[in-house]
Amino acid sequence: MVKTIQLGSRLRYPITITKLYKEPSQPIKKKEALFQYSFKWTRTVGDTIRGETWEKEETTYADWSSPSDGELKSWKIRVGQEILRDQDCMVVKESCSHDVQFGGLCAICGKDMTEVNWAAESRDMDRAPINMVHDQTHLTVSETQAQKTENALQRRLLQHRKLSLVVDLDQTIIHACIDPTVGEWQKDPSNPNYPSVRNVKSFQLDDGPRGVANNCWYYIKMRPGLEDFLKKISTMYELHVYTMGTRAYAQNVARIVDPDKKLFGNRVISRDENGNMYAKSLQRLFPVSTKMVVIIDDRADVWPRNRPNLIKVSPYDFFKGIGDINSGFLPKQQGLLTPSAATTNGGLARIAPAPSPDKEDSTTEEPPLEKALEEQEKTLEKQIKDRPLQALQEQQDKQDEEAERASATPENGNTESTTPPPPYHRHQVLQDDDRELAFLEDHLTALHKSFFQAYEQNRLSQPSSSPSSLDTQSIPDVGSILTTLKSQALSGCKIVLSGIVPIGMDVYRSEIGLQVASFGAELRSSVTRDVTHLVVSSQRPRTKKVRQAIRFLPKIKIVNQDWLAACFSEWRVVEEGPYLIEGLEDAQKKLNEKVQDAEATETVSDADDTDTPPGKKRILRLKSPPRVRFATAATNEDEDEDDSDSGGDDEDEDEDMDEELEALKPVDEDGQLSPIDGLKTFNWGSADEELAEFLESGSDDDDEEEDGKDDDDGEDNDNADDDGDVQATANTSTTTSSYEQVLAAPTKRKADDEEEEESNKRRKSLVGPGPSLLRNELKDEDVEATSAAVAEAAEAAAAAAAEVEAQAAQDAQDADDLDKEFEELDEEALEADFLAMDDGDGDEVQGQQVNGDGNGNGGVSENG
Amino acid sequence: MFFLHNLERRVTLHPSYFGRNMHELVTTKLVKDVEGTCAGDYYIIAIMDAFDVSEGRILPGNGLAEFTVKYRAVVWRPFKGEVVDAIVFSINPHGFFCQAGPLSIFVSSHLMPEEIHFDPNATPPQFTNNADMVIEPGTHVRVKIGGLRTELGEMYAIGSINGDFLGCLQA
Repeated sequence: MVKTIQLGSRLRYPITITKLYKEPSQPIKKKEALFQYSFKWTRTVGDTIRGETWEKEETTYADWSSPSDGELKSWKIRVGQEILRDQDCMVVKESCSHDVQFGGLCAICGKDMTEVNWAAESRDMDRAPINMVHDQTHLTVSETQAQKTENALQRRLLQHRKLSLVVDLDQTIIHACIDPTVGEWQKDPSNPNYPSVRNVKSFQLDDGPRGVANNCWYYIKMRPGLEDFLKKISTMYELHVYTMGTRAYAQNVARIVDPDKKLFGNRVISRDENGNMYAKSLQRLFPVSTKMVVIIDDRADVWPRNRPNLIKVSPYDFFKGIGDINSGFLPKQQGLLTPSAATTNGGLARIAPAPSPDKEDSTTEEPPLEKALEEQEKTLEKQIKDRPLQALQEQQDKQDEEAERASATPENGNTESTTPPPPYHRHQVLQDDDRELAFLEDHLTALHKSFFQAYEQNRLSQPSSSPSSLDTQSIPDVGSILTTLKSQALSGCKIVLSGIVPIGMDVYRSEIGLQVASFGAELRSSVTRDVTHLVVSSQRPRTKKVRQAIRFLPKIKIVNQDWLAACFSEWRVVEEGPYLIEGLEDAQKKLNEKVQDAEATETVSDADDTDTPPGKKRILRLKSPPRVRFATAATNEDEDEDDSDSGGDDEDEDEDMDEELEALKPVDEDGQLSPIDGLKTFNWGSADEELAEFLESGSDDDDEEEDGKDDDDGEDNDNADDDGDVQATANTSTTTSSYEQVLAAPTKRKADDEEEEESNKRRKSLVGPGPSLLRNELKDEDVEATSAAVAEAAEAAAAAAAEVEAQAAQDAQDADDLDKEFEELDEEALEADFLAMDDGDGDEVQGQQVNGDGNGNGGVSENG
Repeated sequence: MFFLHNLERRVTLHPSYFGRNMHELVTTKLVKDVEGTCAGDYYIIAIMDAFDVSEGRILPGNGLAEFTVKYRAVVWRPFKGEVVDAIVFSINPHGFFCQAGPLSIFVSSHLMPEEIHFDPNATPPQFTNNADMVIEPGTHVRVKIGGLRTELGEMYAIGSINGDFLGCLQA
């Protein structure tokens, strides 16, 4: 309550204290004058109009008013003292410290805190900035009060040997949807989904979104085993609900999950009180210390500040395709471990939720609230209208029907081991087979145990504290304990991801990458010998990395993403058996055979087929002359590099294994490939830029064409040739860059293949004066080629213009004179341009020579 | 404290309601609009009667008729120092919230008798003196208003149960 008060920065220092009005131990009131001081200042006096002014020093006396109520304890200043800057002036025992405030009122003294006056520098509202109560936004407390409350909480928890557990609702312990289909299924015992939805609870909310979704029913499915889980966990943890749903929703769900209010009590916080629509924060509930708080949530990205305390659970997805009905505000999730289609019944096609997952980047600025609200409403309305579950079931029924028909024929009926029921049997869409909570319970128990072990150890190591007393000093941080526990889970694993993290996303910063790392596994970007697991998306199991990994097959486990998800939920290296990608052994055999075949034929192309990534193989397939290089080919080079060794991207090109193997065949036999093959990887952006550049400067080019049109018919052909060259240029731009890599590659790679070296040598000899030598010349050639293309286009335009002009001349004789004038002007300009262009022409000639040279080279390599 | 207060309000009526029972409609609309709202530093609890409904004036532009209605209403203006009965609806370590009609009052733990403390282990959490006094959601309490603040359409109040005859009401 005793507070030292400063003079404040608003005084005109230096000041001299002249009189103290109050004695220590006297009561003081706000805005009451406490002492008098004087300060000197200069004033300009005299006649400003005539300019006869001078400075005059003046002394002014002023009173200093009290910023707070209470009792004066002591002065820190004395009469006659000269003060140069802001400093302490007195100690006051305040009558009220305004530690708890409600709606701008001090909850202790009842004074209005919003009042602003001259005496105080800061508002009293700022004394209690912390909002730490679950169900109120208007109640704020000061730091000391928060500290006090939290200490009391920690003591109490320690006494009961408990921790705090913040529980998310949606998709963590329950799954909610508002699809009315569920209600219909519940009433219809003949429906295949009846047993699954029988124990789905529901409630009606009228404060929901307007329109169709108003007053709709919410269907809540509890995660299997939830009741037991919560009962057991609540002996070790004090439970809090923290959801992004509305207050009413949260309370209704809490009522379903915990009808007696024994588990959660009133510790429920929703988005209405959260104060932030996009992120959750432990500091909202535990502003001082989060040392004893654990979170379970299905989304890690909404806890940006509290990752260490978070146990991420796999999302509970009971109502297939619905997702989280309250996630409309949250940024779209990226890089999720979506379960493979195989786990849903009968390879059922997943109906994608309405918004595409990568529609907007999660790092972009947050959408305005209004918009988010609207979007949320729209998605909810859509759910009610579209009835995604019904659609799913219909789809399932159709599949079942087909299967039924198929099994009706005798030969199929025998092969199928599953019981072929005589009547048409419908499969259910909704499966209730989630086991996450059992694992979660184990983890939480283990965490609780190791926390209190650490706590006891800390306490013993501190001799000062008596063993019986509860010691808040020796509380270990549960976040770091959790981190160490987790990091043991997958330690020793070296994991490569393929096809799981979207292209262009840093694997190491992606959600999955962070998780892999947090479980102690080593995340690798490329497949090497010591990698233990390759995780592949089961939707696209034939990526480049798989091909690379096949060679190490018995040692490296190629598994689908469900394995990773299982590891994440079980916190151990799960038996890989059920998750292995099938059919890879065959591929390996095939590959080996191919290699042997290739070795037998000893063609250039398969020399390095086993060890080089496809980026390098492509050269051999393209077989086009490596003579031209775009100055902007750097981007292509980057791409190639990515392909070969960096781990930036994980979604490899979607080439099929077979296709690849086919491509390994010596291409020499079928001669040249299509010239547009290389264009697939060609960077058109750079070409366009170059073109634009030429068009800008190229007005003279146009004119030249116009001029020379009459006398030179053969130029057309030339142009055509040049055009072809442009394509060739594009064709080879990738080639060249990858060539360089090949040339540089042997030093990087383990040179285990003699043949490869041989092939390299051979290639070098084919190239002749290596690409680096060629590069300068090639640039010129390239320029020339492009300009030729431009010229051709311009020519066509000019011809059209001429035609129009001629017609105009016929039609309007009045305009004729003008036209002539213009033509004359044009011609003059053209002549001048032409003269100026002379030098350039010379260059062009040289360029053509080079071109010829290049062609020669190309020809050689092609023949070879 | 309750007052009978003479008030005035302008009520607009849509043209589709123009007819013989217009004044009745105006009164109904007035009741619907006004009853139970917070008008500055008092709540309008109930409208006794509308004793003067002026002639309607058509508003230019939209055709609505505007009536100036003078009415008598029972209003409640809470005062600092007033003692009110309220029902507890929310409890947290810092104090509890209770509702006296339309007004929600916060009673801080500082403004409770010494012997009353927060018991978070009870379900639901409660303030108690480990004897006859148990304050949990639903409890009827008698509080003394210690401070008031009005915002647009909203009122905040601070209460105290530290005093004679304040606190739990034995039902």
